[in-house]
Amino acid sequence: MAGFADLNVPQGADRKAVQSLLEAAAHLGYSAVALNHIIDFKEKKQEIAKPVSPSELFPSLPIVQGTSKRLKVLTRLTLVVSDPSHCNLLRSTSTNIRLYDIIAVFPKTEKLFHIACTTLDVDLVCINVTEKLPFYFRRPPVNMAIDRGIYFELLYTPAIKDSTMRRYTISNAISLMQICKGKNIVISSAAERPLELRGPYDVANLGLLFGLSEGEAKAAVSTNCRATMLHGETRKSACGIVYTVKKLHKIEEEETVPACKKAKTQA
Amino acid sequence: MSTPLRRLQQAPRHLLVCEKGHARHERSRHAAHVRDHAYNCRVSVLIPECGVLPQVLKSAVADLGEYYVVRGLSVHQLVAHEFIESFVRKGSCYALAYNTRIDQDNTAALLPSGKLILSVDKDTYEELGLQGHPSRYSGKKPMRYIITIDLTDSNFHPDGKKHKRVLWALKEKKPLEFDFLLAWYNSGAEGSTLMSYFSKNQIQTLKPKVTFSTLRDLQCPVLQSNELQGKPEESCSTEELFEWLGAVLNQVNLDNVSSSFLSTYCCPQPNTIVDQAFLCTITGFIIPEKIIQLLEQLCCYFGEPKLAQWLTLTVHGFADSPVSWRENEHGFHKGGENLYNFVIFRNLDYWLQMALGTNDDCPP
Repeated sequence: MAGFADLNVPQGADRKAVQSLLEAAAHLGYSAVALNHIIDFKEKKQEIAKPVSPSELFPSLPIVQGTSKRLKVLTRLTLVVSDPSHCNLLRSTSTNIRLYDIIAVFPKTEKLFHIACTTLDVDLVCINVTEKLPFYFRRPPVNMAIDRGIYFELLYTPAIKDSTMRRYTISNAISLMQICKGKNIVISSAAERPLELRGPYDVANLGLLFGLSEGEAKAAVSTNCRATMLHGETRKSACGIVYTVKKLHKIEEEETVPACKKAKTQA
Repeated sequence: MSTPLRRLQQAPRHLLVCEKGHARHERSRHAAHVRDHAYNCRVSVLIPECGVLPQVLKSAVADLGEYYVVRGLSVHQLVAHEFIESFVRKGSCYALAYNTRIDQDNTAALLPSGKLILSVDKDTYEELGLQGHPSRYSGKKPMRYIITIDLTDSNFHPDGKKHKRVLWALKEKKPLEFDFLLAWYNSGAEGSTLMSYFSKNQIQTLKPKVTFSTLRDLQCPVLQSNELQGKPEESCSTEELFEWLGAVLNQVNLDNVSSSFLSTYCCPQPNTIVDQAFLCTITGFIIPEKIIQLLEQLCCYFGEPKLAQWLTLTVHGFADSPVSWRENEHGFHKGGENLYNFVIFRNLDYWLQMALGTNDDCPP
């Protein structure tokens, strides 16, 4: 029951192409779109730049069809990890990563999938749809991810482009559904051209093919996306929770008070 | 593997209720059903065997009143006491937020009974601070809430706590602003009009748009007024008529030509071919009182002998309205249809079909 959102629109170098993508998304009825920067660690070491604010790139955002509000544009970072050492970037607190609205990770091995679901501080875990899954999903990491509020992302644009990838998309999605029972799924495009975007109700129908129920499929495009965006916001705002307990010694109580003030300013 | 894919064989839930009655019977509820459905966006009349509309009907169609579009109207202006005294208490005032989606954004509607319905999403509900209840179609974690404020309540006077709280919430805590479609029906008593009251906002008067067309060589199903289910070789059932009527009103080709890939739908058997049929479509914000008048004129159509065996009046409600009939909540899953259809026979029997979509209640 939230506005429809497409959380994966690749940020290309060409500004005009991205502008036409945004206009197509607004025309189809999406209220929010996330521009995705993909960082692949297999290539030579890349610097993670600070995200450019969408309001600087696109001075006039299009109005969503059927309402009178403007399209909301967020920034998103996807890390393609194939080695445990790549995850160290996420653990450090003083990089530009914190400035992105949504952080996603694309694990390539089973161990990394487990690490991403259980310990990494991300909002989305991408599921590979372009090739046969190299590992099977197991219940414990998936359930832990659901408890932590992490969502699994499925893409649908590879399915539009190629029929082999269509088979892999559906089979990977169905095997995920059997484990997670339809909870915490987000379906998004990775559209590079406006023609590859599909309307939100069509994407919800695609969710039915993956084995979601009617309500879950519509939620995958609306409510779950909103929850992901809020999860990203909480990551930006709170670094930790301080729990103060009244102790008998007053000195100890005063010591904890400056500590929580410190944590707030760090965030 | 079979359980998740079994759902593919099921269509989203939809409901069609069929009723039979006689228009001149004293306990006939046709007028009550029309009055309960407050927001109507399209009215279509299909009369078989008719080339030209009679003058009486033409004037009835032209006299469907006018409605107003106000841009950027704050909801607290609808709660202002002056508005309640001048319009809500004296006649029936209809207001519906325009350009909002019921499954994505906040919506507001004012019913003629004086109830203001706000359908808001979770964030707005928590910020607004008014008492409401979660939507019935929202799932385990409610994402949508419905707030109902009774403006004609005796506790809702200017000095009361209720009014102060509502005004504070809508004016200062979380101001809500929409483009509204407004209409007012008062039975004769003069008073200030909506135009003059909202002259400070951008208010515009509009008349419903009317289009006429004549369909040639149309296949019409044969119907018998006392056979709702239809007899196998003699008449068609109500469901078949409903589908056929939908096809005709959407200008679907009923030929089932082999070269056409769009539709293989055929007119149900038994059917006759009529030379011409008159189709009149009216779009706009049409209030139920005018539809009742139109219905009466259509019943009088059969006062003189006519070739037609029956005629139909179809009324569509707004897909994004928060209520369907009375105060039943209306939702939009994959389609937001809430429409009703009268089939009036020569002997003034009628069939009433009410159709609703997935996130809807059964109509009264």
